[in-house]
Amino acid sequence: MHLSRGKLYTIVSIACLTGYIWLFCNLKSAQNTINNHSVCLIKNISNIPCPSCGTTRSVVFLWRGKLIDALLINPFGLLLSAMMLAFPIWLIFDLITKKQTFLIFYHKTEQFFKKPKIAAIAIFLVLLNWGWNIYKGL
Amino acid sequence: MDAAKVDMFIMSNGKFFESHQVPQLRERLLNLDDSKWGLIQTVQFKDPTTSLIFSLLGGGLGIDRFVIGDTGLGIAKLLTCGGIGIWTIIDWFMIMGATRTKNMDKIQQFLY
Repeated sequence: MHLSRGKLYTIVSIACLTGYIWLFCNLKSAQNTINNHSVCLIKNISNIPCPSCGTTRSVVFLWRGKLIDALLINPFGLLLSAMMLAFPIWLIFDLITKKQTFLIFYHKTEQFFKKPKIAAIAIFLVLLNWGWNIYKGL
Repeated sequence: MDAAKVDMFIMSNGKFFESHQVPQLRERLLNLDDSKWGLIQTVQFKDPTTSLIFSLLGGGLGIDRFVIGDTGLGIAKLLTCGGIGIWTIIDWFMIMGATRTKNMDKIQQFLY
């Protein structure tokens, strides 16, 4: 019932690589050009920002050292930055030592979020963030 | 197990599995002990069409992945705006297969 080690590690590697390419594309372009050509399906269709709209801008702010701005635009950016920093190192460590600590961590996280109480809190937080995004008009 | 029972099961639940897995599943069920029939019958499967609807409507938020039980990938999809929109589109085509694989994994717990 679980993802295999190879599949999970491939998905995470592709995701991290795409994330870094995306980040550098956005860093190179002038300030906040993301506003002009959003890739978000929900925003393009309905003109309402989705829960993760503004994440790129948040990561870009963090890259430039503006922690408060990053937090104010979308807290998801901090979470995603932490993941993008930690996961590649973790994967390389696992591949070198031929262990599967990341896979175990992934399954434990999955189980953790499947608990009804935790899931309810997580959904509430995401909805709260979504409401804040709409209020900010990202 | 009785061939008639197995064929009835395959007929009513065949749509929940990949077509190439069905003959193997049938073989496996035929060799299964009769006492497990009740248990096998009560297993509930996820409908691939329903997950496709979830994918089309809520793919950008990862709802389709949450529904089939891939919580980790669902969170990844939610945080990255549906994988910058690309993963959402890929999943419109992948989610039915993913659901069928999940169903196969589920029934396999009862077969062995």
